[in-house]
Amino acid sequence: MAKTMTLNICHLYPDLMDTYGDKGNIAAIQKRCRWRGIDVNVTNITVGQLLSAFDFDLYFFGGGQDKTQTIVGRDLLKKEQILKKAIDNRAVLLSICGGYQLLQKYFKTKTGEIIKGIGLFDAYTVGSDDRMIQNLLIEINSELEQDIKDNYPTTDDRLPTTDLIGFENHSGKTYLGKNLKPLGKVIKGSGNNGEDKTEGAVYKNAFGCYLHGSLLPKNPHFADYLITKALERRYGKVKLIPLNDEIEWLAHKQATQRTRSTS
Amino acid sequence: MDLKLFLAILAGKSLAFVIRLFSGGATAAPGLIALKIDPDLVRKLNRKIKLGSVIVSGTNGKTTTARLTYDVLSIKYKVIHNRQGSNLLRGIASTLISNSSIFGKLKFDLAIWEVDEATLPESIKNVYPQTIVLLNLFRDQLDRYGEVDSTRTRWQKALKTLPKNTTLILNCDDPGISILEKSFAGKKIFFGVSDNQVKLPAVAIVADVKHCLVCSAGLIFTAQLSAHLGHYRCSKCNFKRPTPDISATNLMFKPDFSTSISLSSSGLTSTVNYSLPGLYNVYNVLAATAVSSRYNIDFLKVKNKIGEFSAAFGRFQKTKIKSRKLVTFLIKNPAGANEVIRTISKLSKINLLVILNDKIPDGRDVSWVWDTDWEILKDKVDNVFISGIRRFDMALRLKYAGFKLSKNNIYKEVNYSIVNTLQKLSTKDTLIVLPTYTALLDVQKTLNRAGEKVSKWQKQ
Repeated sequence: MAKTMTLNICHLYPDLMDTYGDKGNIAAIQKRCRWRGIDVNVTNITVGQLLSAFDFDLYFFGGGQDKTQTIVGRDLLKKEQILKKAIDNRAVLLSICGGYQLLQKYFKTKTGEIIKGIGLFDAYTVGSDDRMIQNLLIEINSELEQDIKDNYPTTDDRLPTTDLIGFENHSGKTYLGKNLKPLGKVIKGSGNNGEDKTEGAVYKNAFGCYLHGSLLPKNPHFADYLITKALERRYGKVKLIPLNDEIEWLAHKQATQRTRSTS
Repeated sequence: MDLKLFLAILAGKSLAFVIRLFSGGATAAPGLIALKIDPDLVRKLNRKIKLGSVIVSGTNGKTTTARLTYDVLSIKYKVIHNRQGSNLLRGIASTLISNSSIFGKLKFDLAIWEVDEATLPESIKNVYPQTIVLLNLFRDQLDRYGEVDSTRTRWQKALKTLPKNTTLILNCDDPGISILEKSFAGKKIFFGVSDNQVKLPAVAIVADVKHCLVCSAGLIFTAQLSAHLGHYRCSKCNFKRPTPDISATNLMFKPDFSTSISLSSSGLTSTVNYSLPGLYNVYNVLAATAVSSRYNIDFLKVKNKIGEFSAAFGRFQKTKIKSRKLVTFLIKNPAGANEVIRTISKLSKINLLVILNDKIPDGRDVSWVWDTDWEILKDKVDNVFISGIRRFDMALRLKYAGFKLSKNNIYKEVNYSIVNTLQKLSTKDTLIVLPTYTALLDVQKTLNRAGEKVSKWQKQ
């Protein structure tokens, strides 16, 4: 029996960026690791605190209100180099809504003001009057799809779907640079900008998206994928133990049906 | 005579009559049609009210506060209130129409308007309030209202337009509310809880205000009573909690969900016992008391009225079906739900039924259940049952909170969930039901269907 694995999580700005039930994402990773005997440490890093590039396997960066986003944005510039180095070293990062926006090149507000981001994602966001507020269902990008299938442990080799379901609430429209891959294709909802059917972004093991809900509890395949990738950094190829995800998939299915049935 | 107004009232009254014939709900419909005929109806009629109107707004506690305020003001005045909870402009129009003669002559001297936080600025323009009560601002249905900061900014703009003879009644424990005094030069009355702690279990705090709204420095809380409500001051500038004019101390929450507080108003202090649970209702009682002081109503009479009060149907309600006790609490956002959870967590061996819907009045986004601290109930709950449109999201939340779930206890249908759950309990048990807004309507239907078997437990 191999020695117990440990996953070190960094929750970025949990005190300021916690608007839409983002706690559920941390809870999902924590529990899904502990149910498998994997130790988890969660470190909260906020404004004014130092970050080191090698301490964490997985970063989580949630959404916040505009005003706090400005405070966080300023501080994030000081963490830019370290965070980029961590991603270059194959650390995993999940960013949602406000967090996703701050990791892009810039955010241009409706009044034309430019809020600088750290440009981890080659993308930018423009404020708009459109409220993109609804359930959001996406088909995961084809490169990730196989990887997710390969890494999700099931007892009967059947993965119900690789789609992701969540709830989006943003007015900023995000546009991806030429070489940046989206996380997936919009089936129902607006996604990045409501125009090009893309949703989210993937750069190395860094993911950005507009999916709240919370995202990870009812998308267990994606949660396990992030856990696997984060563990691989230090433990090499990892095969997770299957869990009983019946309620997770029922929630996924119910939310998906609800999304498909509403206009 | 104002022909337009006359026709609008006539149309509204006729429609209301027809609706009554078919015993339908739709309380906003007469107002809606009347406003189509005379868009100025609300303005015209409000201008005629002898003592003007009182607006009550905020995320949590509007309905209960408006009802309490109605009761205490009725001690002295003839009051109306948009009681049906239809708190958009059309609801106000409906209430005005049914309380005026066909020629627009009013049958009352004072109006209480319970107003949605999103429509407060529009309401201020239309009802010429003499008094505005602002209770709190929490994250709530972000899919409908957008973020808390932007709601506050809209309020600030609207308050700046108020005439100086208006009175603003503010919760001084909410820094996001007390800051509003800076947007208004006239008379202000503050209310708050002066105890440094409350005798309720702690919950994971979801605070929407952590920074000074003047200078953005961190706020220091010497007492954090609920979410971002408490005793605070800025770490840098001179922004701090104002001293309350109306205050409560010695808060005692009893196992039968009644409460006792020492209530102070204009130099008088008295112990008040009333049958509403939780810290959140203390604020509602304080707000109503503050309004009563503004309208010079005898404190002792106010105190007695509060003691007699019972909550709006379903928001908090004790009933009995087939000799099994049922206690219902409406849940709708993290701050409110957390306070309900704290209140019921004083019990043990709880039988819990949670009903989560995601229709527009509930909020389409159910992610708020992850901001709610179900964890503190985990060891207090014996049996947990789940229903509602998004029952599996709720089940998942409770699974991750460490509850033991059985798939047999997850029900599609609300009525069935209640009836079946009760069958599984003994007559000694109490079932705690936590529905979201539209689920509450289903719960009420079930209770009504149980007909005469439902008796008011609290009156026995």
